[in-house]
Amino acid sequence: MNVLPDGVAELIPEYLARQRWYGSSDVPAEVAVLCVQEIAERDGHRLLDVVVDADGDRYQLVIGQRHSGEAADFLNGHEASVLGGVGEWYYYDAALDPDLALALLEVVSAGAEHASRVRPITVEQSNTSLVYEDRVILKLFRRLTEGRNPDIEVTTALAQAGFDHVAAPVASWSGDYGDLAFAQQYLAGGSEGWALALTSLRDLYASPSEDPEAAGGDFGGEAGRLGHITAQMHLAMANAFGVERRGPADHRWRALLDSIDKRLTEASAALGGGLAQAAAHYMDRLHAINETGPAIRVHGDYHLGQVMWTDTGWYVLDFEGEPARSLEQRLEPSSPLKDVTGMLRSFQYASRAALGDRNDDEVAALEPVAAAWERHNRTAFVNAYRATSGIHALVPDGEEGWEAVLSAYEMDKALYELDYERAYRPEWVPIPMSAIARLLVQ
Amino acid sequence: MNTRSGSDDPRWYQKAVFYEILVRGFFDANDDGSGDLRGITAKLDYLQWLGIDCLWLLPFYKSPLRDGGYDISDFWSVLPEYGDLADAVELVEEAHKRGIRIIADVVMNHTSDQHPWFLESRQDRTNPKADWYVWSDDEHRYSDARVIFVDTEKSNWTFDSQRGQFYWHRFFSHQPDLNYANPEVANTMLDVVRYWLDIGLDGFRLDAVPYLFEREGTNGENLPETHDYLKRLRKEVDTMYPGKVLLAEANQWPEDVVEYFGDGDECHMCFHFPVMPRMFMALRREQRHPITEILARTPEIPPGCQWGIFLRNHDELTLEMVTDEERDYMWAEYAKDPRMKRNIGIGRRLTPLVDNDRRIAELLHALLFSFPGSPILYYGDEIGMGDNIYLGDRDGVRTPMQWSPDRNAGFSKADFAQLYLPAIMDPVYGYQSVNVEAQLRNPSSQLHWTKRMLEVRKQHPVFGTGSFEVVSTDNPSVLAYVRAGRADPDAEEGDEGPLDIVLCVSNLSRFAQPAELPLQRWQGLVPIELIGRTPFPRIGELPYFVTLAPYGFYWFQLAEG
Repeated sequence: MNVLPDGVAELIPEYLARQRWYGSSDVPAEVAVLCVQEIAERDGHRLLDVVVDADGDRYQLVIGQRHSGEAADFLNGHEASVLGGVGEWYYYDAALDPDLALALLEVVSAGAEHASRVRPITVEQSNTSLVYEDRVILKLFRRLTEGRNPDIEVTTALAQAGFDHVAAPVASWSGDYGDLAFAQQYLAGGSEGWALALTSLRDLYASPSEDPEAAGGDFGGEAGRLGHITAQMHLAMANAFGVERRGPADHRWRALLDSIDKRLTEASAALGGGLAQAAAHYMDRLHAINETGPAIRVHGDYHLGQVMWTDTGWYVLDFEGEPARSLEQRLEPSSPLKDVTGMLRSFQYASRAALGDRNDDEVAALEPVAAAWERHNRTAFVNAYRATSGIHALVPDGEEGWEAVLSAYEMDKALYELDYERAYRPEWVPIPMSAIARLLVQ
Repeated sequence: MNTRSGSDDPRWYQKAVFYEILVRGFFDANDDGSGDLRGITAKLDYLQWLGIDCLWLLPFYKSPLRDGGYDISDFWSVLPEYGDLADAVELVEEAHKRGIRIIADVVMNHTSDQHPWFLESRQDRTNPKADWYVWSDDEHRYSDARVIFVDTEKSNWTFDSQRGQFYWHRFFSHQPDLNYANPEVANTMLDVVRYWLDIGLDGFRLDAVPYLFEREGTNGENLPETHDYLKRLRKEVDTMYPGKVLLAEANQWPEDVVEYFGDGDECHMCFHFPVMPRMFMALRREQRHPITEILARTPEIPPGCQWGIFLRNHDELTLEMVTDEERDYMWAEYAKDPRMKRNIGIGRRLTPLVDNDRRIAELLHALLFSFPGSPILYYGDEIGMGDNIYLGDRDGVRTPMQWSPDRNAGFSKADFAQLYLPAIMDPVYGYQSVNVEAQLRNPSSQLHWTKRMLEVRKQHPVFGTGSFEVVSTDNPSVLAYVRAGRADPDAEEGDEGPLDIVLCVSNLSRFAQPAELPLQRWQGLVPIELIGRTPFPRIGELPYFVTLAPYGFYWFQLAEG
């Protein structure tokens, strides 16, 4: 079957608007069905894989079909995932149907993988993930991009380059409209870096000691191991995708500085207090450096939420890059310090997020402790990163160059955060603000 | 006299709860200031009430006692202060009547330097026992072997002026190593084993087992010769004394220790050393990973084998099996006073280690009782006894058992000055406040709690023999795992009983915690909390949500509801 049953296409626009993974909550004006495949059938229930174009963006749907009279307990409470009924059939998101979800794994892996149980992961936004026997996780891409999906591309390349701190690829599946699904090893029992950092901070904030290293929940060891793994990831990236020599004259470095300059001028005007002058000095310092280090393929959206601590160390997840950027931007090589600063910014966010909704007095009392935790783990991360054998070839040689490039990427990130927080979370504005002020006076 | 006690289950040790007793410190039946075998016999009813399946006695053989009796000077007789052979026989018989088994330490590796064998061996180079110990003119032989007691010993060789040669010792210099390369020694030590099994012991804890043989160019640990000898020992036990158990002490990483199980043809049990410091570390760090890491790197063991796990024992809290970084961490967190450090470890009892926090002590026991392995309790920990770090060597954790608030903790009617060590008398852990009698009267005491937990554990053999699987959860402070298996895995096929599934969820944090557990595979089952038998809401298609009090834990049976 390569056409949808009559009447189903008409259900899709409103269905899309109800999905979290759809880019908008408005019903799309135009939906064109690009491709329909019946990929499996179990006990008379059919599994259709459908690619549509909705107002210019491509989406993947997996649709289950059942008889109208036939109950489906798994849909209880998931009314938004039902497309609706047509004649004697009704249609729904097949990812929720355990039998069809099991069939999906077999299709994706061309029959190589079989499982006896599956559960959906409920929290995810942009994709749909299914966990099989706590052994394999299948990421079903919802919004499709042309060309190779960067997550599949990078994960597979890193695994082949011998970097075993990515969840091992199990299978990938693609069609005429690009990559559709990616199955990987499931990191059972792991903890997200963000949750682990908050655990450490919770302990510190409740302990009489203000020294993060002396606290029982010290994160310094983990931060150091993360720095080391990050460097190893970059070495593997360089190995797999190559190294591009660049210098301060490179137009992309100039563009980064121009962009920082522009946004910093606006921000420092708002900050007042002589920061405009500091900003000018700061930019002079960035312009004065004589090396930027080479560029490599990077993670691109690197933070504590993208790493998992497992029984065999840190694992790096999700190489899709920053979702807000175009695919072309995401593939663009950059200094690996972009990832380093991404993680360092995450340390500051964690230390502030862990303050929770304490009252102002408490926050004022704990802020020096938060700053000490951030400093301690930054140092542990950066020292271990730089101590990793071979990494010096991928970063600026001299101390001055290292400091300046690190500072530039951190400033770039903090300015981005400032815009974001101003638009969506004004109460978080002080976090990037303090980072910007700190970078200016360093 | 091959008495069998309790059930006839030859794999009893897989489900048993062990209780480690320092003979000298348990109960003094003859009022001489030192515990004795008759003292243990007198307290068997207590141990039966508590739910103990097997006693492990620290060495009770004749000894000059320079190393807590691990320096044996006569394998065939009982240390006179502890009683005589008749007392040993009576203890074994009375224990068996109550369904309690007894294993004892036997030191295979070395003897005391006062042992007649050594006294003879050191006379000259030609006497009949000249080759029973490891002698050399060269103190640089076997130089790849490490020195274990780094606090006291500089070398593994000590010069004997009488014989004019160096003798080999892996531990203290007053404990010369036996020479197993000599078939006479190897045979005689088998005689020692047979002798005590004939008296009725149910097995042995084999002390310092990796070091029996030595060979140049090796570190002298885990040599194939040593394994061959243990296989020979096991074969002897299986043939002549079925149902007896050999428990190996090999303080090594689990992937190395498994060698001592052989193919199920060496030791029945081995201690799992590294899991213990990691339990403390996980609690202090409020995250599960120190524990799950070591369990993940613990290999499968052959059928019929079992780990021995413990929170504390008569030695220091050993930190040999942690990384240097972890050891620094443990010292910083748990040995704040330098006197608490002993060799490469921490010389403290459980309760002071956890700052007398009953919640932590209970959580640690709940973990111990539900981890893969047979739990071994250390005498006094069931009532939360303290320690005395000012006593020398490892005596700080070997003080008299605290039976009552009476004189000498009810341990002995001797004069106080006569006691082998003073009972703990400080205001917090002293016998006036911490003792068996008071806790027996108080239904909410730690003692009653421990007894209740052991009862529950006994109702679910999966705690001993079931599979172990970690259940993922996003909250790093929560450790969840499932123990599952047939009620009687050793029975004939089709007769193994129903599938028993126990879910354990623990909060390692001092703050209340939520957790979402992906239990969908057991959708439709009802978790029944095992201590109060309270049914919890049925498992549905969504992750199962639980909240846990600080240091709280649940044991759930997943039952058809």
